[in-house]
Amino acid sequence: MSEVVSSRRRFVQASGALALTALAPGVARAQPAALQLGVLTPLTGAGGFDGPRMAKAMQAVIDEVNAAGGLLGRKVVLVTEDDQTNPEAAVRAARKLIDVTKVPAIMGTWASAVTTAVAPLCWESRTFLTTVSGADSITKLPHQGYLIRTQPNNHLQAGKHAEFIASLGVKRCFMMSIQAPFAQPTQERATEVLKQKGSQMVGTLIYDKDKTTYRSEVDQALRTNPDLIYLNGYAPDVTILLRDLYRASYNGMRFAQSYAVTTKVLESLPHEVTEGVITVQPSADVTSPAYELAKKRLGVAEPDSYETQATDWASLVSLSIAKANAATGTAIRDNVRRICQGTGTKVYSAVEGLKLLAQGKDINYEGASGPCDFTDIGDITDCKFRYNKVAGGKFVLLKVA
Amino acid sequence: MTPLTEIPQLVVNGAMAGTILAVPAMGLTAIYAVLRFPNFAIASHATVGAFAGYLANVALHWPVLPSLTAAFLVAGCVGVASDEVVLKRFRPAGYITTAIASIALTIALENVIRFFFGNELRGYDLPIARDVRIGGIRVGPQQLQNLAVAVAAMAALFAFLVFTRMGKAMRAVADNPMLASIKGINADVIGRLVNFVGMGLAGLGGMLIGLDTTIDPLTGFRAILSVFAAAVVGGLGSIPGAVIGALTVGIGEELCLLFLSPDYRSAVGFVAILLVLTLRPRGILGEARA
Repeated sequence: MSEVVSSRRRFVQASGALALTALAPGVARAQPAALQLGVLTPLTGAGGFDGPRMAKAMQAVIDEVNAAGGLLGRKVVLVTEDDQTNPEAAVRAARKLIDVTKVPAIMGTWASAVTTAVAPLCWESRTFLTTVSGADSITKLPHQGYLIRTQPNNHLQAGKHAEFIASLGVKRCFMMSIQAPFAQPTQERATEVLKQKGSQMVGTLIYDKDKTTYRSEVDQALRTNPDLIYLNGYAPDVTILLRDLYRASYNGMRFAQSYAVTTKVLESLPHEVTEGVITVQPSADVTSPAYELAKKRLGVAEPDSYETQATDWASLVSLSIAKANAATGTAIRDNVRRICQGTGTKVYSAVEGLKLLAQGKDINYEGASGPCDFTDIGDITDCKFRYNKVAGGKFVLLKVA
Repeated sequence: MTPLTEIPQLVVNGAMAGTILAVPAMGLTAIYAVLRFPNFAIASHATVGAFAGYLANVALHWPVLPSLTAAFLVAGCVGVASDEVVLKRFRPAGYITTAIASIALTIALENVIRFFFGNELRGYDLPIARDVRIGGIRVGPQQLQNLAVAVAAMAALFAFLVFTRMGKAMRAVADNPMLASIKGINADVIGRLVNFVGMGLAGLGGMLIGLDTTIDPLTGFRAILSVFAAAVVGGLGSIPGAVIGALTVGIGEELCLLFLSPDYRSAVGFVAILLVLTLRPRGILGEARA
């Protein structure tokens, strides 16, 4: 009996070996295995509008890289998973990318809750993560450098907004913020920067959401006699504030985030109420050559902030791998700042950078979303903002700066 | 903080907000008086009214006052229908079950509105007038008009309850359902009537809130806690109580700005509920048995 078993086992081993030998020439003839990079964007859920466009932008960059010979002599393949804008689904997808596909980098998390859930898996497995999530807390996680974000955080936004407000010649600014985690940090940072720029925050208040009127809050603001009121809330409450400010005959400037004064808000209010309101939103660097390249690559007239950030991740990760001459998360972490900041030659696309790196030159990648210079904790140090002004119920571009 | 010299302005602001709040609060308390359960579906009926008024005003180009009437009538009819179809079946199971069913109903109705109108903000076709100063106090013409409508609605409700046969029957059922039925008052008819009037008032209140702000499917839901606070503070079941409760909550929320940052404003309604329930459980004008 045992002999039968052992002979059967030998037969299986032998035929297995035969099969392998039969396959071997095929393996030997093939290209070196493709280099797989992870893409984890929301294709469904709240981020379902941005995610697919981000994935497309990354694919476009990788197509160019492959056309120019790939990375480390290997073809690059993006392995895309859907994070469903849901932390739980995102963790499952990230586990697959990390444990099964064994990617060195995951690019693309969108919602802050998703990034917060996925980031620990990444740094523990030494996988590099790039994200657009805006919450200040994300870069404060103990990620050991395995995370960068190209989206301006609250601190940067508040500072930039304050600089812009001061540049308008505003001497007295008042800030009304909805009760939300960002309210106080934004007020503090804006107050600090206004002071540095020779302007002044004459007062701040935090209001309760879901009120039907803010007359008393408006009175409180107007007592300080401001030239500009920064309305840092969401659409439902900012709409009421705009009405109440108009009723109170306030004629100064009003400033708000673009998500608080949307086209729908303009439709719901009489023109005289919204006339002159200035809105702000993070913007791609429309003046950068990298932006022109992204336009052509994507065939889109005006790639937005998300598409350009995705363009920059694919470029940064490719260049870091080339610089390190190794495709691991740690290699990317250790080299990303060596290709995107410093005194090297400025380059505006991955392919251009790869060429120079091959010649042994230093490079400084300047992205389509911005200069792509990072702090130690992975935040960008600078980015552009788009300022619009409302005229006759429509947005008119004021400037991108 | 707000200086003490602003007290008159705060009281005026609070009284205006309170008067608008009083309209749906009267609806809530009237339904409670007759049917003996807190009907949270008031929230979605306020939204239904706001959207009915929106259609009348924006799609049909009706002026504001006829649109307000449309808000009242449509919300009233929806109130009767939703009670017949949904809540009536729950009433024999007790008031807690019915109250929970009314929460489910309000979420369902809210989503029906969302299905047809989407989530975006909408505004009435209404010019926004600058405020005028009367004796140093700032008031808005639109708010004065809303105030007048709210006061007229209150007066009409009181007249209805005091002078009409149906109104008296309603009070009789509220006072003593058993005795009323012995006297031959049809409780079903009164139930429908109070739903029509109560939800109609909610709809009217919803549109009054919308006139001052914008509307979306959450318009009623955002106001329901203050409305409920007003009804409880005034004494659930007492219609004059609802008015006093709404004014107390409205003025209280404004006066708290003298001492507190505006982000604590909503807390005032709840502190008022706590105080009243601790010191005078039946509310300011509530009946002893409530």
